[in-house]
Amino acid sequence: MSEDIRALSAVLAADPASLVYVDLAEALRRRGDFEQALRVANGGLARHPEHADGFDCVGRIHVGRDDLPRAREAWGRALAVAPDHLGALKGMGFALYRAGDARGALAVLERALAGHPADDGARRALDTVRRALGIQSAAPPADRPVEQGARVAVETPTPVPPSPAVVPATAPGAPAVPAAGAAADAAAELPPVFRGLEGATADILLFDDRGLVVAGGLSGADGADVSALAAAGLAGVSSEAGRTAQYLALGAWTTIVAEADRANLVLAPVGPGALLLVRRDRGVPVGLALRVAERAQAAASAWLARQGA
Amino acid sequence: MIPDLEQALDRISRVRGVRGSMYVAADDGIVVAHLLMETVNGKAVAALAASLARKVEGAAAATGAGRVRFLQMDAADGTLLIAPAPRDLLVVTLADPRVNVGLCRLEMMRAAEAAA
Repeated sequence: MSEDIRALSAVLAADPASLVYVDLAEALRRRGDFEQALRVANGGLARHPEHADGFDCVGRIHVGRDDLPRAREAWGRALAVAPDHLGALKGMGFALYRAGDARGALAVLERALAGHPADDGARRALDTVRRALGIQSAAPPADRPVEQGARVAVETPTPVPPSPAVVPATAPGAPAVPAAGAAADAAAELPPVFRGLEGATADILLFDDRGLVVAGGLSGADGADVSALAAAGLAGVSSEAGRTAQYLALGAWTTIVAEADRANLVLAPVGPGALLLVRRDRGVPVGLALRVAERAQAAASAWLARQGA
Repeated sequence: MIPDLEQALDRISRVRGVRGSMYVAADDGIVVAHLLMETVNGKAVAALAASLARKVEGAAAATGAGRVRFLQMDAADGTLLIAPAPRDLLVVTLADPRVNVGLCRLEMMRAAEAAA
Protein backbone atom coordinates (compact mmCIF):
# COMPACT_ATOMS: atom_id res chain seq x y z
CA MET A 1 0.00 0.00 0.00
CA SER A 2 2.78 2.43 0.90
CA GLU A 3 4.42 1.69 -2.48
CA ASP A 4 1.12 2.55 -4.17
CA ILE A 5 1.04 5.80 -2.27
CA ARG A 6 4.61 6.58 -3.23
CA ALA A 7 3.91 5.83 -6.88
CA LEU A 8 0.71 7.85 -6.92
CA SER A 9 2.43 10.72 -5.14
CA ALA A 10 5.15 10.69 -7.78
CA VAL A 11 2.57 10.82 -10.57
CA LEU A 12 0.76 13.70 -8.90
CA ALA A 13 4.01 15.55 -8.26
CA ALA A 14 4.92 15.24 -11.95
CA ASP A 15 1.47 16.38 -13.04
CA PRO A 16 -0.38 18.30 -10.30
CA ALA A 17 -3.44 18.57 -12.54
CA SER A 18 -3.74 14.78 -12.81
CA LEU A 19 -6.99 13.15 -11.70
CA VAL A 20 -4.87 10.53 -9.96
CA TYR A 21 -5.33 12.67 -6.85
CA VAL A 22 -8.52 10.67 -6.19
CA ASP A 23 -6.59 7.37 -6.20
CA LEU A 24 -3.95 8.82 -3.92
CA ALA A 25 -6.53 10.22 -1.50
CA GLU A 26 -8.36 6.91 -1.54
CA ALA A 27 -5.15 4.99 -0.80
CA LEU A 28 -4.39 7.32 2.10
CA ARG A 29 -7.93 6.94 3.39
CA ARG A 30 -7.67 3.15 3.34
CA ARG A 31 -4.47 3.42 5.30
CA GLY A 32 -6.36 5.47 7.88
CA ASP A 33 -4.46 8.68 7.15
CA PHE A 34 -7.65 10.73 6.90
CA GLU A 35 -6.18 14.19 7.33
CA GLN A 36 -3.56 13.70 4.61
CA ALA A 37 -6.20 12.09 2.38
CA LEU A 38 -8.41 15.12 2.85
CA ARG A 39 -5.58 17.51 1.98
CA VAL A 40 -4.86 15.61 -1.22
CA ALA A 41 -8.53 15.40 -2.20
CA ASN A 42 -9.17 19.07 -1.49
CA GLY A 43 -6.06 19.99 -3.44
CA GLY A 44 -7.38 18.05 -6.42
CA LEU A 45 -10.82 19.57 -6.12
CA ALA A 46 -9.30 23.04 -6.10
CA ARG A 47 -8.11 22.27 -9.63
CA HIS A 48 -11.16 20.26 -10.64
CA PRO A 49 -14.12 21.82 -8.83
CA GLU A 50 -16.65 19.83 -10.90
CA HIS A 51 -15.09 16.40 -10.33
CA ALA A 52 -17.77 14.17 -8.80
CA ASP A 53 -15.31 11.34 -8.06
CA GLY A 54 -13.29 13.76 -5.99
CA PHE A 55 -16.30 14.78 -3.90
CA ASP A 56 -17.30 11.14 -3.53
CA CYS A 57 -13.83 10.40 -2.18
CA VAL A 58 -14.07 13.34 0.23
CA GLY A 59 -17.38 11.90 1.47
CA ARG A 60 -15.72 8.59 2.32
CA ILE A 61 -12.83 10.34 4.01
CA HIS A 62 -15.23 12.26 6.23
CA VAL A 63 -16.96 9.01 7.18
CA GLY A 64 -13.56 7.77 8.33
CA ARG A 65 -13.20 10.98 10.36
CA ASP A 66 -16.60 10.28 11.89
CA ASP A 67 -17.93 13.52 10.44
CA LEU A 68 -21.18 12.51 8.78
CA PRO A 69 -22.49 16.05 8.17
CA ARG A 70 -19.43 16.88 6.06
CA ALA A 71 -19.61 13.50 4.33
CA ARG A 72 -23.19 14.21 3.45
CA GLU A 73 -22.25 17.66 2.17
CA ALA A 74 -19.52 16.17 -0.04
CA TRP A 75 -21.84 13.56 -1.50
CA GLY A 76 -24.42 16.27 -2.06
CA ARG A 77 -21.90 18.24 -4.10
CA ALA A 78 -20.98 15.11 -6.06
CA LEU A 79 -24.64 14.56 -6.88
CA ALA A 80 -25.09 18.19 -7.85
CA VAL A 81 -22.42 17.63 -10.50
CA ALA A 82 -23.39 14.07 -11.45
CA PRO A 83 -26.91 13.17 -10.23
CA ASP A 84 -26.48 9.46 -11.06
CA HIS A 85 -23.06 9.00 -9.47
CA LEU A 86 -23.31 5.53 -7.94
CA GLY A 87 -20.73 6.03 -5.19
CA ALA A 88 -22.27 9.30 -4.10
CA LEU A 89 -25.79 7.86 -4.13
CA LYS A 90 -24.74 4.92 -1.97
CA GLY A 91 -22.75 7.22 0.26
CA MET A 92 -25.68 9.58 0.67
CA GLY A 93 -27.93 6.61 1.46
CA PHE A 94 -25.47 5.51 4.11
CA ALA A 95 -25.23 8.99 5.63
CA LEU A 96 -28.99 9.44 5.76
CA TYR A 97 -29.49 6.04 7.33
CA ARG A 98 -26.84 6.69 9.94
CA ALA A 99 -28.50 10.02 10.70
CA GLY A 100 -31.78 8.25 11.36
CA ASP A 101 -33.47 9.22 8.10
CA ALA A 102 -34.31 5.74 6.81
CA ARG A 103 -36.98 7.12 4.46
CA GLY A 104 -34.50 9.49 2.89
CA ALA A 105 -31.97 6.67 2.58
CA LEU A 106 -34.62 4.51 0.91
CA ALA A 107 -35.32 7.14 -1.75
CA VAL A 108 -31.64 7.67 -2.53
CA LEU A 109 -30.80 3.96 -2.66
CA GLU A 110 -33.80 3.26 -4.89
CA ARG A 111 -32.38 5.89 -7.22
CA ALA A 112 -28.98 4.19 -7.10
CA LEU A 113 -30.44 0.80 -7.93
CA ALA A 114 -32.66 2.19 -10.67
CA GLY A 115 -29.62 3.63 -12.38
CA HIS A 116 -27.35 0.68 -11.65
CA PRO A 117 -29.56 -2.42 -11.36
CA ALA A 118 -26.60 -4.82 -11.39
CA ASP A 119 -24.87 -3.26 -8.39
CA ASP A 120 -25.00 -5.74 -5.50
CA GLY A 121 -23.83 -3.19 -2.95
CA ALA A 122 -26.73 -0.88 -3.71
CA ARG A 123 -29.14 -3.82 -3.63
CA ARG A 124 -27.88 -5.05 -0.26
CA ALA A 125 -28.02 -1.59 1.25
CA LEU A 126 -31.52 -1.05 -0.12
CA ASP A 127 -32.69 -4.40 1.24
CA THR A 128 -31.34 -3.51 4.64
CA VAL A 129 -33.10 -0.16 4.72
CA ARG A 130 -36.32 -1.72 3.48
CA ARG A 131 -36.19 -4.33 6.23
CA ALA A 132 -35.62 -1.59 8.78
CA LEU A 133 -38.74 0.13 7.48
CA GLY A 134 -40.73 -3.10 7.34
CA ILE A 135 -40.88 -3.08 3.53
CA GLN A 136 -40.46 -6.24 1.45
CA SER A 137 -36.92 -6.64 0.08
CA ALA A 138 -36.11 -5.73 -3.52
CA ALA A 139 -36.22 -8.64 -5.96
CA PRO A 140 -33.00 -9.28 -7.89
CA PRO A 141 -32.99 -8.58 -11.63
CA ALA A 142 -34.83 -11.28 -13.57
CA ASP A 143 -31.78 -12.05 -15.66
CA ARG A 144 -29.49 -12.59 -12.67
CA PRO A 145 -29.57 -15.56 -10.34
CA VAL A 146 -29.73 -14.83 -6.64
CA GLU A 147 -26.33 -15.45 -5.10
CA GLN A 148 -26.22 -17.69 -2.05
CA GLY A 149 -24.79 -14.94 0.14
CA ALA A 150 -27.47 -12.51 -0.95
CA ARG A 151 -30.22 -15.02 -0.16
CA VAL A 152 -28.85 -15.57 3.32
CA ALA A 153 -28.62 -11.85 3.86
CA VAL A 154 -32.27 -11.40 2.98
CA GLU A 155 -33.61 -14.28 5.01
CA THR A 156 -31.48 -13.76 8.09
CA PRO A 157 -31.27 -10.21 9.41
CA THR A 158 -27.64 -10.52 10.39
CA PRO A 159 -26.29 -7.12 11.35
CA VAL A 160 -23.66 -5.84 8.92
CA PRO A 161 -20.77 -4.08 10.65
CA PRO A 162 -21.51 -0.40 10.15
CA SER A 163 -18.11 0.88 11.17
CA PRO A 164 -17.36 3.61 8.67
CA ALA A 165 -13.65 3.11 9.09
CA VAL A 166 -13.91 -0.52 8.04
CA VAL A 167 -16.76 -0.83 5.61
CA PRO A 168 -15.62 1.57 2.91
CA ALA A 169 -12.15 0.06 3.05
CA THR A 170 -13.42 -3.44 2.34
CA ALA A 171 -16.03 -2.32 -0.15
CA PRO A 172 -14.78 0.88 -1.75
CA GLY A 173 -17.57 3.18 -2.67
CA ALA A 174 -20.17 0.89 -1.20
CA PRO A 175 -20.87 1.95 2.37
CA ALA A 176 -22.96 -0.69 4.07
CA VAL A 177 -25.83 0.08 6.35
CA PRO A 178 -26.65 -1.96 9.41
CA ALA A 179 -29.26 -4.58 8.92
CA ALA A 180 -32.44 -4.80 10.95
CA GLY A 181 -35.44 -7.07 11.02
CA ALA A 182 -38.85 -7.16 12.61
CA ALA A 183 -38.87 -6.50 16.33
CA ALA A 184 -40.23 -9.94 17.10
CA ASP A 185 -37.54 -11.65 15.05
CA ALA A 186 -34.84 -9.64 16.71
CA ALA A 187 -36.19 -10.37 20.17
CA ALA A 188 -36.22 -14.07 19.41
CA GLU A 189 -32.64 -14.03 18.14
CA LEU A 190 -30.97 -11.99 20.84
CA PRO A 191 -30.06 -13.39 24.28
CA PRO A 192 -32.47 -12.51 27.13
CA VAL A 193 -29.95 -10.46 29.09
CA PHE A 194 -32.47 -8.06 30.54
CA ARG A 195 -35.18 -10.56 31.47
CA GLY A 196 -37.27 -9.17 34.30
CA LEU A 197 -36.72 -5.55 33.36
CA GLU A 198 -39.55 -3.67 31.71
CA GLY A 199 -38.93 -3.21 28.00
CA ALA A 200 -36.26 -5.91 27.99
CA THR A 201 -36.47 -6.48 24.25
CA ALA A 202 -37.98 -3.22 23.04
CA ASP A 203 -36.47 -0.43 25.15
CA ILE A 204 -33.10 -1.68 26.36
CA LEU A 205 -30.21 -2.19 23.98
CA LEU A 206 -26.68 -3.50 24.53
CA PHE A 207 -24.28 -2.75 21.71
CA ASP A 208 -20.57 -2.35 21.10
CA ASP A 209 -18.56 0.76 20.40
CA ARG A 210 -18.53 -0.06 16.68
CA GLY A 211 -22.31 0.16 16.62
CA LEU A 212 -23.06 -3.58 16.54
CA VAL A 213 -26.03 -4.91 18.47
CA VAL A 214 -25.08 -7.36 21.25
CA ALA A 215 -28.31 -7.95 23.16
CA GLY A 216 -31.67 -6.47 24.04
CA GLY A 217 -33.59 -4.55 21.42
CA LEU A 218 -35.20 -1.30 20.47
CA SER A 219 -38.41 -0.93 18.55
CA GLY A 220 -39.70 2.08 16.67
CA ALA A 221 -43.08 3.72 17.03
CA ASP A 222 -44.51 1.30 14.44
CA GLY A 223 -43.13 -1.74 16.25
CA ALA A 224 -40.34 -2.33 13.75
CA ASP A 225 -36.93 -3.17 15.11
CA VAL A 226 -34.60 -0.16 15.03
CA SER A 227 -31.84 -1.72 17.13
CA ALA A 228 -29.16 -1.66 14.45
CA LEU A 229 -30.00 1.88 13.40
CA ALA A 230 -29.92 3.12 16.98
CA ALA A 231 -26.71 1.24 17.81
CA ALA A 232 -24.98 2.77 14.81
CA GLY A 233 -25.97 6.28 15.83
CA LEU A 234 -25.27 5.84 19.53
CA ALA A 235 -21.77 4.46 19.00
CA GLY A 236 -20.86 7.87 17.63
CA VAL A 237 -22.23 9.52 20.77
CA SER A 238 -20.01 7.33 22.91
CA SER A 239 -16.83 8.31 21.10
CA GLU A 240 -17.84 11.97 21.19
CA ALA A 241 -18.51 11.75 24.92
CA GLY A 242 -15.12 10.14 25.45
CA ARG A 243 -13.42 12.91 23.52
CA THR A 244 -15.33 15.60 25.42
CA ALA A 245 -14.54 14.11 28.82
CA GLN A 246 -10.89 13.74 27.92
CA TYR A 247 -10.42 17.29 26.58
CA LEU A 248 -12.22 18.84 29.52
CA ALA A 249 -10.35 16.65 32.03
CA LEU A 250 -13.61 15.29 33.41
CA GLY A 251 -12.36 11.73 33.83
CA ALA A 252 -14.28 8.80 32.40
CA TRP A 253 -17.86 9.53 31.44
CA THR A 254 -20.40 7.43 33.32
CA THR A 255 -23.82 8.30 31.91
CA ILE A 256 -25.46 10.47 29.30
CA VAL A 257 -29.09 11.38 29.81
CA ALA A 258 -31.06 12.92 26.97
CA GLU A 259 -34.55 14.23 27.64
CA ALA A 260 -36.32 14.33 24.31
CA ASP A 261 -39.81 15.09 23.00
CA ARG A 262 -41.07 11.52 23.10
CA ALA A 263 -38.68 9.65 25.38
CA ASN A 264 -35.86 9.93 27.87
CA LEU A 265 -32.67 8.13 26.95
CA VAL A 266 -29.92 6.90 29.26
CA LEU A 267 -26.64 5.81 27.73
CA ALA A 268 -23.94 4.17 29.85
CA PRO A 269 -20.75 2.22 29.22
CA VAL A 270 -20.70 -1.44 30.27
CA GLY A 271 -17.04 -2.35 30.59
CA PRO A 272 -14.59 -1.79 27.76
CA GLY A 273 -16.17 -1.54 24.34
CA ALA A 274 -19.80 -2.15 25.30
CA LEU A 275 -22.61 0.35 25.79
CA LEU A 276 -26.10 0.29 27.11
CA LEU A 277 -29.13 2.31 26.13
CA VAL A 278 -32.30 2.48 28.19
CA ARG A 279 -35.27 4.30 26.72
CA ARG A 280 -38.25 5.32 28.80
CA ASP A 281 -41.38 7.30 27.99
CA ARG A 282 -41.10 11.04 28.47
CA GLY A 283 -43.44 10.77 31.45
CA VAL A 284 -41.06 8.50 33.38
CA PRO A 285 -38.91 10.65 35.68
CA VAL A 286 -35.26 10.81 34.72
CA GLY A 287 -34.23 9.64 38.17
CA LEU A 288 -36.25 6.45 37.73
CA ALA A 289 -34.86 5.89 34.25
CA LEU A 290 -31.38 6.17 35.75
CA ARG A 291 -32.22 3.54 38.37
CA VAL A 292 -33.47 1.18 35.68
CA ALA A 293 -30.31 1.84 33.70
CA GLU A 294 -28.20 0.92 36.72
CA ARG A 295 -30.00 -2.42 37.00
CA ALA A 296 -29.67 -3.05 33.29
CA GLN A 297 -26.01 -2.10 33.46
CA ALA A 298 -25.43 -4.65 36.22
CA ALA A 299 -27.29 -7.34 34.29
CA ALA A 300 -25.35 -6.61 31.12
CA SER A 301 -22.05 -6.56 32.93
CA ALA A 302 -22.73 -9.92 34.58
CA TRP A 303 -23.90 -11.44 31.29
CA LEU A 304 -20.84 -10.21 29.41
CA ALA A 305 -18.60 -11.63 32.13
CA ARG A 306 -20.32 -15.01 31.74
CA GLN A 307 -19.66 -14.87 28.02
CA GLY A 308 -16.01 -14.18 28.72
CA ALA A 309 -16.37 -10.90 26.83
CA MET B 1 -23.09 41.08 27.13
CA ILE B 2 -26.87 41.47 26.76
CA PRO B 3 -28.26 42.15 30.28
CA ASP B 4 -30.93 39.41 30.12
CA LEU B 5 -28.42 36.81 29.10
CA GLU B 6 -25.96 38.02 31.70
CA GLN B 7 -28.57 37.73 34.42
CA ALA B 8 -29.54 34.27 33.27
CA LEU B 9 -25.95 33.07 33.35
CA ASP B 10 -25.47 34.68 36.73
CA ARG B 11 -28.42 32.72 38.15
CA ILE B 12 -26.95 29.47 36.87
CA SER B 13 -23.55 30.31 38.35
CA ARG B 14 -25.13 30.77 41.78
CA VAL B 15 -25.93 27.07 41.95
CA ARG B 16 -23.35 25.44 44.17
CA GLY B 17 -20.82 23.44 42.19
CA VAL B 18 -21.25 25.26 38.88
CA ARG B 19 -17.90 26.07 37.29
CA GLY B 20 -19.29 28.09 34.46
CA SER B 21 -22.10 28.53 32.00
CA MET B 22 -22.44 30.00 28.56
CA TYR B 23 -24.52 30.54 25.49
CA VAL B 24 -23.08 28.76 22.51
CA ALA B 25 -24.00 28.82 18.82
CA ALA B 26 -25.36 25.34 18.16
CA ASP B 27 -24.07 25.17 14.60
CA ASP B 28 -20.42 25.99 15.06
CA GLY B 29 -19.77 25.83 18.79
CA ILE B 30 -18.77 29.49 19.08
CA VAL B 31 -19.20 31.17 22.46
CA VAL B 32 -21.89 33.86 22.39
CA ALA B 33 -21.84 34.84 26.07
CA HIS B 34 -20.19 33.28 29.09
CA LEU B 35 -19.64 33.44 32.81
CA LEU B 36 -16.82 31.10 33.74
CA MET B 37 -14.30 30.36 36.43
CA GLU B 38 -10.81 31.33 35.30
CA THR B 39 -9.73 27.73 35.08
CA VAL B 40 -12.41 26.78 32.55
CA ASN B 41 -11.48 26.84 28.88
CA GLY B 42 -14.65 28.34 27.48
CA LYS B 43 -13.83 27.83 23.82
CA ALA B 44 -13.13 24.14 24.33
CA VAL B 45 -16.25 23.60 26.40
CA ALA B 46 -18.36 25.38 23.79
CA ALA B 47 -16.97 23.49 20.82
CA LEU B 48 -17.17 20.09 22.48
CA ALA B 49 -20.62 20.68 23.92
CA ALA B 50 -22.01 21.72 20.54
CA SER B 51 -20.45 18.70 18.88
CA LEU B 52 -21.81 16.34 21.53
CA ALA B 53 -25.25 17.91 21.28
CA ARG B 54 -25.29 17.34 17.51
CA LYS B 55 -24.30 13.71 17.94
CA VAL B 56 -26.94 13.07 20.56
CA GLU B 57 -29.58 14.82 18.48
CA GLY B 58 -28.90 12.47 15.58
CA ALA B 59 -28.83 9.40 17.77
CA ALA B 60 -32.03 10.39 19.55
CA ALA B 61 -33.76 10.64 16.19
CA ALA B 62 -32.55 7.13 15.36
CA THR B 63 -34.10 5.78 18.56
CA GLY B 64 -37.42 7.48 17.87
CA ALA B 65 -37.06 9.71 20.93
CA GLY B 66 -37.51 12.91 18.97
CA ARG B 67 -35.89 16.27 19.55
CA VAL B 68 -33.59 16.60 22.55
CA ARG B 69 -34.67 19.14 25.18
CA PHE B 70 -31.98 18.62 27.78
CA LEU B 71 -28.72 16.75 27.83
CA GLN B 72 -26.63 15.66 30.79
CA MET B 73 -23.23 13.99 30.60
CA ASP B 74 -21.92 12.74 33.92
CA ALA B 75 -18.24 11.97 34.32
CA ALA B 76 -16.03 11.02 37.24
CA ASP B 77 -14.76 14.57 37.71
CA GLY B 78 -17.50 16.75 36.33
CA THR B 79 -20.89 17.16 34.74
CA LEU B 80 -21.72 18.79 31.43
CA LEU B 81 -25.28 20.04 30.95
CA ILE B 82 -26.71 21.29 27.68
CA ALA B 83 -30.10 22.82 26.93
CA PRO B 84 -31.12 23.89 23.43
CA ALA B 85 -32.36 27.48 23.30
CA PRO B 86 -34.10 29.63 20.67
CA ARG B 87 -32.09 31.27 17.88
CA ASP B 88 -30.00 28.12 17.38
CA LEU B 89 -28.26 28.57 20.69
CA LEU B 90 -27.31 26.15 23.41
CA VAL B 91 -27.12 26.90 27.11
CA VAL B 92 -24.10 24.98 28.39
CA THR B 93 -23.07 24.47 32.00
CA LEU B 94 -19.97 22.79 33.37
CA ALA B 95 -20.24 21.72 36.98
CA ASP B 96 -18.87 19.48 39.70
CA PRO B 97 -19.97 15.84 39.71
CA ARG B 98 -22.29 16.27 42.70
CA VAL B 99 -24.01 19.42 41.51
CA ASN B 100 -27.76 19.71 42.00
CA VAL B 101 -28.74 18.85 38.44
CA GLY B 102 -32.41 19.56 39.06
CA LEU B 103 -31.69 23.13 40.14
CA CYS B 104 -29.23 23.66 37.32
CA ARG B 105 -31.77 22.37 34.86
CA LEU B 106 -34.40 24.82 36.08
CA GLU B 107 -32.04 27.78 35.76
CA MET B 108 -30.83 26.60 32.38
CA MET B 109 -34.39 26.35 31.10
CA ARG B 110 -34.98 29.91 32.28
CA ALA B 111 -31.79 30.93 30.53
CA ALA B 112 -33.02 29.28 27.36
CA GLU B 113 -36.23 31.28 27.56
CA ALA B 114 -34.22 34.45 28.07
CA ALA B 115 -32.58 33.91 24.70
CA ALA B 116 -35.91 34.07 22.86
